[in-house]
Amino acid sequence: MGLFESSEKFEEVLGGFFRLVADTPSVADKLLASKLIIRFTYKDPDVVLLIDCSGDKLDIRPGDTETKADVEMSMSADIAHKFWFGKVNLMAALTRRQMVAKGPIPKILKLLPAIKPTYAMYPKYLDENGYGQYNIY
Amino acid sequence: MLPEFFEFYNSTRVVYGSGIASDFKAELDFLGIGKYFIVSDRIISDLGLTKKVVDGLTSAGIEVTGEFLDVPQDSEVNTVNACADQAKTSGAEGLVAIGGGSVIDTAKAANILISEGGDLVEDYSGAHTLTRPLKPLVVIPTTAGTGSEVTQVAVVYDKDNKVKMPFTDKFLLPSLAVLDPEMTLSLPPKLTASTAMDALTHAVEAYVDLQWSPFSDTFAIGTVELIFKNIVQATKNGEDLEARGSLLIASNMAGIAFSHSMVGCVHGMAHAVGGIFRVPHGVANAILLPYGMEYNFEEVKDKLAKLAPIMGEEVSGLSADDAARKAIEAVRKLNGTLNEMGALPLRLREVGVSEDGLPEIAEATVMDGTSFYNPREVVAEEILAHLKNAY
Ligand SMILES: [Fe+2]
Repeated sequence: MGLFESSEKFEEVLGGFFRLVADTPSVADKLLASKLIIRFTYKDPDVVLLIDCSGDKLDIRPGDTETKADVEMSMSADIAHKFWFGKVNLMAALTRRQMVAKGPIPKILKLLPAIKPTYAMYPKYLDENGYGQYNIY
Repeated sequence: MLPEFFEFYNSTRVVYGSGIASDFKAELDFLGIGKYFIVSDRIISDLGLTKKVVDGLTSAGIEVTGEFLDVPQDSEVNTVNACADQAKTSGAEGLVAIGGGSVIDTAKAANILISEGGDLVEDYSGAHTLTRPLKPLVVIPTTAGTGSEVTQVAVVYDKDNKVKMPFTDKFLLPSLAVLDPEMTLSLPPKLTASTAMDALTHAVEAYVDLQWSPFSDTFAIGTVELIFKNIVQATKNGEDLEARGSLLIASNMAGIAFSHSMVGCVHGMAHAVGGIFRVPHGVANAILLPYGMEYNFEEVKDKLAKLAPIMGEEVSGLSADDAARKAIEAVRKLNGTLNEMGALPLRLREVGVSEDGLPEIAEATVMDGTSFYNPREVVAEEILAHLKNAY
């Protein structure tokens, strides 16, 4: 049993955070520069979130399994949650198959410095939006 | 200090011996299949190397179901698809790759399609997308440079999307690597020198990269020693089996090192000059290695200092800074010797790079996947300064 009790809850928490990131120009602009469409497929609970960086604005589309993505990332919801605290070494997670990434990996690695500031945003976001019980790392 | 996390995994059985490429039935028996398909290229085939292996296989009662010899200089998705189709139709149960990096990567990628079916780029590009072992793959390298016979990586060019697709997967590790120095005897001096310098670059970069571990360090140090002791002799006298063998083993050990630790900005720059000005990979690495070491100097001088004595430099009584400089000097001296032998150019201007192209190379270096592992952040203006020095 994962940390999140339902798909709805996890989608609400992480989707909300992705929308906050989309509204933070210092991070969003760098993601937009990549032009990538990235689909995250989470397990336990099951959620799909698509982040479309190909337009002028970051578009977060929950449940989008149709759009052709450049990169497909799959992982457990718990690993994803821990990742946004900055507590997951991406290379280690890929090596250990805690995350599986399909597509041009170097382009993903290149985004890491850009998303670094979000690691501090995540716990704050959880607390400010009534998700304090998930602020565990 | 130890890394926060590392993994060491190498499932490839490695055998070494002079003449063993036509006599490795004992190792094949272990793999339990009897039908192999050959992947190689025209040059290797014209040199009679493919025949040597095939004759050995057939006289040992192994069935060779067919040959694919159309691997180009840089492997490409369509090549992989064609190779996989032919191997499959032939009824092969496994592959034998005979060649350099492009042949080996083609065989690795084709093996994914033969074993699992599907679309190469769509279904399998990326990191650790495979979930079970592929069919047996035997690799016999004919150059001593890429080390691809023991790496988890294959790089295939995707023409449609104009991008080099990396595949990283434990299941890409070949089942068996057969190291036979006789298979490298026909390498001309220039290729001997540049491919060995590629291996040296793998070792030095794996040694200083962010993803280092005590395991990759050990293989990297072993490589550096073997290359410094044998590269000049193998370039001078291509018939010297001992020197040839040493470089082949060094290249293999460097492969094990960088399959774990990855490479850095020297490869980043080499990929860029290769992509933009078609400079051969080994030549580009040889020219750029000392400049890349200078780029990373402050971050890794303690490690460079440890390499200096292994490169044959006297460092007793020297500070870490001075010992580290000796390591860079040692690489320059080695390049100089190879240059005097007519086997290696020393500057980018000698290999068709134009001076106005340097900023574009610097930008491409930053965008290269290797940047992520380099010990110092790869910044275009800083890289440009070092490229100018190398020009
Ligand atoms: Fe290389």
